[in-house]
Amino acid sequence: MNTKKAFPFKLVDNPFPLVIVDSTLTIQECSVETLAFFEIDDSAQPMHLKELIGESYKIFLESTENKKKQIETISIFSKTEKQRWIRTACYPDITNSHFHIYFDDVSDEISQYELSMRAKRIAKIGSWKVDLVKNTLIWSDITREIHEVPNDFVPDLKMAINFYKEGKHRDKINNAVSACMEMAKPFDLELIIVTAKGREKWVRAIGEAEVIQGEVCGFQGVFQDIDKIKREQLRYEILNNRMRAAIEGANIGIWDWDIEKNDLIWDENMFTIFGIDESQFKAAYEAWESVVHPDDKENAVEEVQMALDGIKEFDTEFRAIKGCGSIAYILGRAIVFRDEEGNPLRMVGINQDVTKARIKDIRARRLLEVMEKQNVKLTNFAHVVSHNIRSSSSNISMLSGMLLDNTSNDRTLEFIEMINKSAEKLEETISDLNEIVKIQTTDSLDLYQIEVRSVLESVIESINALVVESKAEIRIDIDRSLRVWGIKPYLTSIFLNLLTNSIKYRSPDRKLLVNIGVEHSDNQTVIAFNDNGIGIDLKKNGQHLFGMYKTFHSNKDAKGIGLYIANNQMEALDGRIEVKSSVGQGSTFYLHFKK
Amino acid sequence: METKKLFLVDNDDIFCFAAEVLIKSRNLAHEVARFENGLEALNALKTLVDSPDELPAILLLDLNMPIMSGWEFLDEIKTGPEIFTKKIAIYILTSSIAPEDVTKSKDYPFLEGYITKPLTVEDIDRVSAK
Repeated sequence: MNTKKAFPFKLVDNPFPLVIVDSTLTIQECSVETLAFFEIDDSAQPMHLKELIGESYKIFLESTENKKKQIETISIFSKTEKQRWIRTACYPDITNSHFHIYFDDVSDEISQYELSMRAKRIAKIGSWKVDLVKNTLIWSDITREIHEVPNDFVPDLKMAINFYKEGKHRDKINNAVSACMEMAKPFDLELIIVTAKGREKWVRAIGEAEVIQGEVCGFQGVFQDIDKIKREQLRYEILNNRMRAAIEGANIGIWDWDIEKNDLIWDENMFTIFGIDESQFKAAYEAWESVVHPDDKENAVEEVQMALDGIKEFDTEFRAIKGCGSIAYILGRAIVFRDEEGNPLRMVGINQDVTKARIKDIRARRLLEVMEKQNVKLTNFAHVVSHNIRSSSSNISMLSGMLLDNTSNDRTLEFIEMINKSAEKLEETISDLNEIVKIQTTDSLDLYQIEVRSVLESVIESINALVVESKAEIRIDIDRSLRVWGIKPYLTSIFLNLLTNSIKYRSPDRKLLVNIGVEHSDNQTVIAFNDNGIGIDLKKNGQHLFGMYKTFHSNKDAKGIGLYIANNQMEALDGRIEVKSSVGQGSTFYLHFKK
Repeated sequence: METKKLFLVDNDDIFCFAAEVLIKSRNLAHEVARFENGLEALNALKTLVDSPDELPAILLLDLNMPIMSGWEFLDEIKTGPEIFTKKIAIYILTSSIAPEDVTKSKDYPFLEGYITKPLTVEDIDRVSAK
């Protein structure tokens, strides 16, 4: 034993664990009791505090540095791997060069404290006690309540075990109870019981043997209803597993929002999806809100609120503005976790970038719309065209057949003339058809800014003879600078059709007056052609007005193609044509151009 | 021999010219009256309500016409004086071979038949046999 200093009273004789160390915590002296306290062999003299209390020694370097008294409770493990709590008190001696360290085992106090704390935390705890000597089992009121048996119910050990669900649950409790009885081994299990009322319930059963003179004479423990917590936990585990499976493969981000602390955690994928640098992210709800597209924010925030209020699960789509400024379509789904009173605690969810699919979807839908429109048009078109072609061709076959059969008698020349007329009409129909097909196939053309007035003037010039002959007066109230989006041949054709219609259907009772003006609205320029002609009965003919080969007057020149073409051309310019008219007073055609 | 009257309601001049020659050559009718559209024919019929003997025996009706189409004409006849459908054998005579037009013609049970252009000698003989 290392006893350098000759004090009258030897330190080593102290009946309690005590060491003297220097400022580096190297042991100078050590009481005999210390060795037994730390279960150290007599032959192996400890040289440093580290050998007694392990890495915890570092705490005391502070004490030796500051020459201050310090008391700490530290945890060590015994040779039998049992946890021990050691209160360690370090005092500087009068010279301040050495320190006295006392040890005291406070394990019992600590474990009792811990147990009582646990009991406080956990509600719905019952207790039970088995006395093997008297062969009795006592249940507390709460234990009976958990089993759903009446208060006067008297259980025995076998009955108690039979409450556990048959199979692995009952096997486990059987094994645990046997081990506790035979080897005093404590147990702490989470198992399912089937209550007296037949309900399945998760419980936690904790048991400890009571040992007197080395003999197990009974055991006791606590019994707790953990059904709700356990089920929630299992649900969460299942969800977690499902999510993990879903994430593999798809580009899905996961978020977890602690609602009380407003702590929002994003996984790596989330940062990729939103194009945000992880270091820039403020882990709070507001951080998410700030990336949602302004137009979608109201709805998205409402969806969150509805999920929190339990009205519906969070399942929505919104646009997000990514860090780089581009827009992403995000699919969001989430689940809210609640406490026992139903208050939301956590919200866990996924976000998936569905931009590619969404854009494809939008394109497909647009394409479909165009196709459907086109299809209806083409069906109509085919119907009407076939009718007109058939009219001419059947006339030709009828006339020529009669010629051959000599039904024509002496009117051969007349018949040939008729055949010729029919052939011309057929040709005309085919050329109309060509005209219309041209419009429909130039649908996606680039539009130009066209000067309206100069186009109008050249159209009037081209029909000058007709204007003069009909004594029409045409007034243009349009500024020379007015331009609309269009292409010149279409505008020329539309203007020509409207003007020749006005002349064709002028009133025989008055001089024809055509006024051409312009009106402006927020997003449209409207050119209006107003005349004082015979007018159109819109109630009767309105729906057919812009149809193909539709005529509304007994005028022999009417072909029913002009307005059909004009309407198609306006549609091709992304505009539209409208009409107001009253019989006997005149008509006004409005050409709406996009601004 | 009594004079047989026929109304031809069609706005196609060429067809009407050829049809009239054919009708007369087969003796289907001795007198053919032409009308540009349904309204003209209807007005002519209305003036004859009180003299049923003057009504045509046969009326050949085109479908596609301005002012009043063949269908509109039939709708008027349907609700008009019974004498029209009783006395007159009405045929649709059209270049339309659309199935929906054939189907629609079934809505007018008083129709005698549905003839598609070109009009042939066989068509006329069939009408004549009725």
